[in-house]
Amino acid sequence: MSKGFAKRIGLLTGLIGLTIFAVGGAGALSAQELKIGYMKHDIHAANVVIMEKWAKAKGVKLTKIPMAYSVFQEKVTATLTSGGDQFDVIWHNDDWGQLWKKWVEPTNDITGMDKVARKPLEAFINDDGKISAVPMVHTVGVFFYRTDLVSENEVPKTLDELVTVSKKLQSEGKVKWGYVGGMKMNHTWFSQWWSMWSNNCDIFYPIYSRDNKELEANGWKPALADPCHQEIIEFWWDAMNTHKISPRAMTAYGRDEANAIFMAGDAAFTLVDSTHFGSFNDPKKSKIAGKVGMARFPMGPRRTTPVAWNEVWGWAIPKGVPDDRKKLAKEMLGAMLTDIEGQIKQWEDTGGPPPNREAWDKIAAMDPVFGQLKHAVFDVEPPMHAAYYFPNWPAVHKAYSDATIGALSGKREDIAAALAKGVPIVHAAAVQ
Amino acid sequence: MTAATTTHGGSRTPGFFDALAPGGARALFFLSVTAVLFLFAFPVFWLVLTSLKPGWEVFYVHRSTEFTWGNYVDVLQEEIVLNAFINSFVIATAATILSLAVTVSSGYMLSRFRGPIANTWFGTIYLFRCIPYISWVLPLYFVTQWLGIFDSYLGLLLPHIAVHICFFSWIMKGFFDGIDPSMEHAALIDGCTRWGAFRRVALPSAIPGIAALAILCWLWTWNEFLFALILTSHNTPMITVVMAQFVHELGTEWNLMSATAVMTMGPALIITIFGQKYVIKGLRI
Amino acid sequence: MLLLVGPAAAVLVLFQIVPILIGMNASFRSWALYDPTKTWVGLKHYIYVLSDPVFMTVVLPNTFLLMFLSVAISLVFGLALAHLLNRDFLGQRIVQTIVLLPLMVAPVIVSTMIRWMFNDQFGIVAVVWEGLGFEPMAWLAERWPSFSIILFTDVWIWTPWFTIILLAGLKSLPREPYEAAAIDAAGRWRVFTHITLPMLRPVMLVCIVIRSIDAFRTFDQVWVISAGGPARGTEVFSVYAYIEAFQNLNFGRGSAAAVVGGVIIMVVGLLMYRVLNRLMEVSR
Repeated sequence: MSKGFAKRIGLLTGLIGLTIFAVGGAGALSAQELKIGYMKHDIHAANVVIMEKWAKAKGVKLTKIPMAYSVFQEKVTATLTSGGDQFDVIWHNDDWGQLWKKWVEPTNDITGMDKVARKPLEAFINDDGKISAVPMVHTVGVFFYRTDLVSENEVPKTLDELVTVSKKLQSEGKVKWGYVGGMKMNHTWFSQWWSMWSNNCDIFYPIYSRDNKELEANGWKPALADPCHQEIIEFWWDAMNTHKISPRAMTAYGRDEANAIFMAGDAAFTLVDSTHFGSFNDPKKSKIAGKVGMARFPMGPRRTTPVAWNEVWGWAIPKGVPDDRKKLAKEMLGAMLTDIEGQIKQWEDTGGPPPNREAWDKIAAMDPVFGQLKHAVFDVEPPMHAAYYFPNWPAVHKAYSDATIGALSGKREDIAAALAKGVPIVHAAAVQ
Repeated sequence: MTAATTTHGGSRTPGFFDALAPGGARALFFLSVTAVLFLFAFPVFWLVLTSLKPGWEVFYVHRSTEFTWGNYVDVLQEEIVLNAFINSFVIATAATILSLAVTVSSGYMLSRFRGPIANTWFGTIYLFRCIPYISWVLPLYFVTQWLGIFDSYLGLLLPHIAVHICFFSWIMKGFFDGIDPSMEHAALIDGCTRWGAFRRVALPSAIPGIAALAILCWLWTWNEFLFALILTSHNTPMITVVMAQFVHELGTEWNLMSATAVMTMGPALIITIFGQKYVIKGLRI
Repeated sequence: MLLLVGPAAAVLVLFQIVPILIGMNASFRSWALYDPTKTWVGLKHYIYVLSDPVFMTVVLPNTFLLMFLSVAISLVFGLALAHLLNRDFLGQRIVQTIVLLPLMVAPVIVSTMIRWMFNDQFGIVAVVWEGLGFEPMAWLAERWPSFSIILFTDVWIWTPWFTIILLAGLKSLPREPYEAAAIDAAGRWRVFTHITLPMLRPVMLVCIVIRSIDAFRTFDQVWVISAGGPARGTEVFSVYAYIEAFQNLNFGRGSAAAVVGGVIIMVVGLLMYRVLNRLMEVSR
């Protein structure tokens, strides 16, 4: 190539090199700066606002690093296991509690930890028996219903009632579908699992146990072929094909599809995270704004009292962070936990129930919506866990989803066989 | 492009297009063009429509006639978006220029010199292109961290160029293979240097190919997702990653995502229109 | 020459070869993402993958089917479109720009768009389908309809790629053979098969092989549209490896799956190259 061309390339490369120097120069981190990594979401943003208040008062610089959810867990796991200090505080999720327990700081000593709900934190217990995260918001599932279609005492309390009420509404032409909810992989909570737990059923024996030692002693035996499970899967099969209260394609639906259908007014009931109440009730986003109510989960035939799950999103401090920043981060998280005003504002802005229980009473006094939520979820005893907490859980989740979606996509008479086929696969996923 | 009519050599075997009346051939042509246009344009048109809809209508696009600029307003309010556009533009342009500079000459070399170097180069590229991203994208994350270039322009440019080199030198070779070397031999005999022959003879006829590759390279890097996702953080936001951030654990903010996607198409459209000229023109020897 | 290849080779080694080698190294070790003990386990992961019935009977056939169909269809359409665009007609520039539209949108966005479009409740396809009087179809809840949608998306995205490269190829062809053919009064089809195609052969061959290798590794479209569902019915090789590496967090096994797939496509790609080369030569 000609000299002129080579010269131009050389110049360009040099220019790019200079730009990189200017942009990418990361100097040594001063002790008065903290970096927070999290998924881009309104709730995180609202919680970070609480921490920014503290940071400003203290003269600490807070660098916010929102990340895409699709890669958050892999990237942070890679950072944690390499002992990096790229982040001082990271978003933590009950799903990852057992995966990250070796790499994050225990948090029992942080101010305000005595004021938060204990049960959801069980997901974050490390091998020394200490908690390894600080809660920032409760994530709970809620059964939503259309207040313009059913009154409060007409809301179905059992799965059978769900069918009858839905069919009545459909035959009267008031709504296109009875129930719509996520069903495909990773949204299994919103069809199979809430109904499973509402039917005295679970993935492994013993039912409802989350004690890994107990589950292991039982050989990680899946309860997939149990009659309680068959009832549930047959319920959903009938819902889609026999009674037609749910769309047949629901096996491929995630939250997005189900929420879209609900917000367009085409379904009477749905079950999804409580934080979606905000969008459901927003006239700019939803056709049914102002017509949404929250209720307890309908029960299966094997239960007489409803269930509810109650988990938390939280913050964790990587072990690789230097001690002075660790101390600062702990201070900041303690400030967040004890900032009642800030937490009330988090509820008002995002509909995310804050972690400090002292804030709950104040919110319940001023906001009837929180009262509904409290009745539907927080007052349900005993609360349960919406996941298992051991490293192979994601593989188990996938195996379960594949087995049940397969069963739901086939013939009704093949359901028992399909579930039986899934038992060894779920077991293999648990013990690999 | 009418074929010269002639009485020489007798009648030719009539083909399908000749069987149609002149109007029929035109109609078929017109029909196929319309069908193609519809198929290619419709999803994009639907995307643009989607981005102008509020709330639930972002899914039930057909059900209402409400339109709003609100999604665009919401997206543009985040300053990271503008940053991301600039970064993506710089990276795409730089990667294209740098990759092409290398691959045009190495493609030429591969085509004209069949030696052990060429074969090793070729073989290595082929070999390593076959291994899918999943197995080496995390190690790449570690390598860039180790080199200290994580989350910087260089940290993105270099891997992109590495991938493009693999791909483009191969295609460039194909283009040069299709160009008759006899003209270059004539130039060499006339006293040109190798580089002179390359620049004056081979390069001009490869311009459509280079232009096509330039467009593809630019568009590919502009829309590239995986590297941007793994290799950047808050210092070097890229537009594809910003779009990915609209997918969070509780759902997809499709209204914002589609608005960003439509805006992202803007520069892509401009570059394509600009580059197409050179694909069409091309110089004849 | 070496001076030119030198820096390029260095970049290649550092940012392609080294990470790939690290990844391959991981495939022989017990490497869970959350607990990288990295103890050597030899071929354990490979044995797992190769003896996994789902991998052999569902994933690989799906992947090959998608690859062959996608490449063949987009090649034929791409060639036809390139031929169409090779002449000057009113609005040629606009048509060409529209044909290239799919290249301007990120595959993830396209796939998401297609997923909503084929939704049985609010997708425009379902609306039109039922409007025409057909029975409502659960497009994404069944295996082969989902597969077809993924195939359609892939063809939509990649036809313009073929088009623009082949168009450039057509533009670089010398005039003389065409002028000679015109004198000989050859029919249009004969001109196409006996002059155009052979001269395009080098470019076409490279494109087919490259595109096939990439089609084998298709990920975004499958992941967004069906995530390999329903119940793994549309799972392809890259989804399999991704789930092992990043969902099950078994990076060692995911890497092994990736290497297995890589070796398979390497062999298949070479075979394709030889076979196609031979075929194209014979047809001359």
